[in-house]
Amino acid sequence: MATTEVDDERIEELETLQSIYPELTLDPANPFSAQLDLLVAPAKPLPVTFEPDLGRPDHPAVGNTEANNTENAVVHRLAYLPPLCLKVELPAQYPAEAPPKVNLTTSPSWVPLDAIEKLEREAYLLWGEYSGGQMLFAYISYLQEAAETTFGLSELLLPDSVKAELLYYSKCTKKELFDQETFDCEVCLEPKKGSVCYRMERCNHVFCVNCLQDYYNNCIKEGDVNNVKCMSTDCGKHANGSKKERLVSPKELLQIPLSLEVVERYAKIKRKKKIEADLTIIHCPRSWCQGAMRTTKYPKIKDVREMDDSDSEADEPAEASSREEQAESGLERRRVGTVGMDRLAVCEDCTLAFCKVCLASWHGDFVRCEPRDSTQLTEEDQASLNFIMKNTSPCPTCAVPCQKSYGCNHMTCFQCKSHFCYLCGAWLTPENPYGHFNNPRNKSCFNRLMDMAEGDMANGAAQFGGARGAEQMAEFWEQEAMRIQMELNEQDS
Amino acid sequence: MSAGAKKRIMKEYGECMAETPPGMKINFDERNMTKWEVLMDGPDGSVYAGGHFKLEIVFPNEYPFKPPVVSFRTKIYHPNVSNDDKGSMCLGLLRPDEWKPPNKVVAVLRLIQSLMVEPNIDDAIEPSIANEYKENRKEFEKNAKDWVKRYAK
Repeated sequence: MATTEVDDERIEELETLQSIYPELTLDPANPFSAQLDLLVAPAKPLPVTFEPDLGRPDHPAVGNTEANNTENAVVHRLAYLPPLCLKVELPAQYPAEAPPKVNLTTSPSWVPLDAIEKLEREAYLLWGEYSGGQMLFAYISYLQEAAETTFGLSELLLPDSVKAELLYYSKCTKKELFDQETFDCEVCLEPKKGSVCYRMERCNHVFCVNCLQDYYNNCIKEGDVNNVKCMSTDCGKHANGSKKERLVSPKELLQIPLSLEVVERYAKIKRKKKIEADLTIIHCPRSWCQGAMRTTKYPKIKDVREMDDSDSEADEPAEASSREEQAESGLERRRVGTVGMDRLAVCEDCTLAFCKVCLASWHGDFVRCEPRDSTQLTEEDQASLNFIMKNTSPCPTCAVPCQKSYGCNHMTCFQCKSHFCYLCGAWLTPENPYGHFNNPRNKSCFNRLMDMAEGDMANGAAQFGGARGAEQMAEFWEQEAMRIQMELNEQDS
Repeated sequence: MSAGAKKRIMKEYGECMAETPPGMKINFDERNMTKWEVLMDGPDGSVYAGGHFKLEIVFPNEYPFKPPVVSFRTKIYHPNVSNDDKGSMCLGLLRPDEWKPPNKVVAVLRLIQSLMVEPNIDDAIEPSIANEYKENRKEFEKNAKDWVKRYAK
């Protein structure tokens, strides 16, 4: 019996297989049976949807994956799936007269039954093709090839009960295989085992953890947060020459891992830089605080472990344009022209409620901002001021603006009782205020005591008749004269 | 300087020795490996042909996270090299925001060689020389060759 066993073709084939696949296990109870786990690593990660109700037999949507995908189900793309376990048993007549008995399983079961059956049938077909020769190696190769395309499956709908196991398996296998690999770190120029390396999430570049830590720690220490991006030279390069590089998210930095303290500093500086660049953000007027006002645009950092945003520098031009608009209108950080409740801001640090315009603590909705100067007027107030500057004559003593509604051009200030000429703004002696209008030397006012007696601008006159109007007229004619002179000069040359 | 940085500089030096880019010679002082002296020949066909230029490459403590600092110790008439006794350069990957840690000194040396063949006018440190290069190429070439004769022989 011993001699026949050694000569047995079946033993020979299994031994050969074992030398090719060391992980092949022979059944000690039955020397003619063996078991082999085959890795399922699809060339393209397989989209898998987990469906809570799939377990129920009465569920109508079983198999109708499309309908489910469109609903709120999340599609997971799995790079690795639990191995296909091949069990073969070679009957005494194998290979000449009987095919091998094959049994394919996965744990947990994830390959649809019809696909399993098709794979098992292939063993029989192959045995036929080999017309009674040893065909196990060919069959295993066939299974491995089929695994690369996940046995022809393009997507999968599975019950929610296997979700955790499958996701965990894919993640662990990925890590395990990565750890076994060797990478040349482009920074320290040393070959490093995968277990001390890290693969960047977005671009898949691999560096050793030491270099990543050194680099990012250094960047963050120096506040140079805009360099916290993938170190690779060909990262972010596009065919059209434009560069768009993304900053590494706080969450990913923690995975590398960087210390929580450093990552918190990173998130804080990044946020601060954004707030500083945004001119719509007003800072707390308390000199000991100077926190930013509360806003939904830049939420406060709560937990960096949850921050997986990786904003790019390319986001910035959009903000810059709105910044320019503000600069153009000549407004500073204080929101001149803001009225009512829109003026209310709350400091995110000390919770002081303050006014965006006058930077005083909040004075309520209907209060005008005090103190006021020309840089912090509301639009309405600015318009009034402009009108006053253009269309009134100031009292030569107290500068109170006035506009004549009717009467002669001898004015008495309602505030300081000074006498002055409405036309030229000259102070008039209270003893003889009318002398001014009777003196031919005062060319612009001589004999004009009663000009515009019906009131200034009463007859729809566009030009203000008072002192400032005269100034404006004078300026206008001076410019006209300049213009005419320039024209003449040009003609001459 | 960290041990890692020293190791990397040694490695790069090894690579440079094994395969020195044509037209240059690197002098390396084991006692101060953070400062290399490079002798670069003016590339054939360029206005600097026939000249020999001494360059200094200083590695910062944070190398390779920060770029090396390059300066011409031999005076050179070039839009991208500062026309003073420093002879400094700051463009392309030598700029701190453009530098990436996997970049190597060899890449820097190649950049300098290519700039000697064709200056980068848009990124000139000497606008007047750049202007001359653009507007009056003959005059530029005459001056550059003049300087080669005077300083780089």
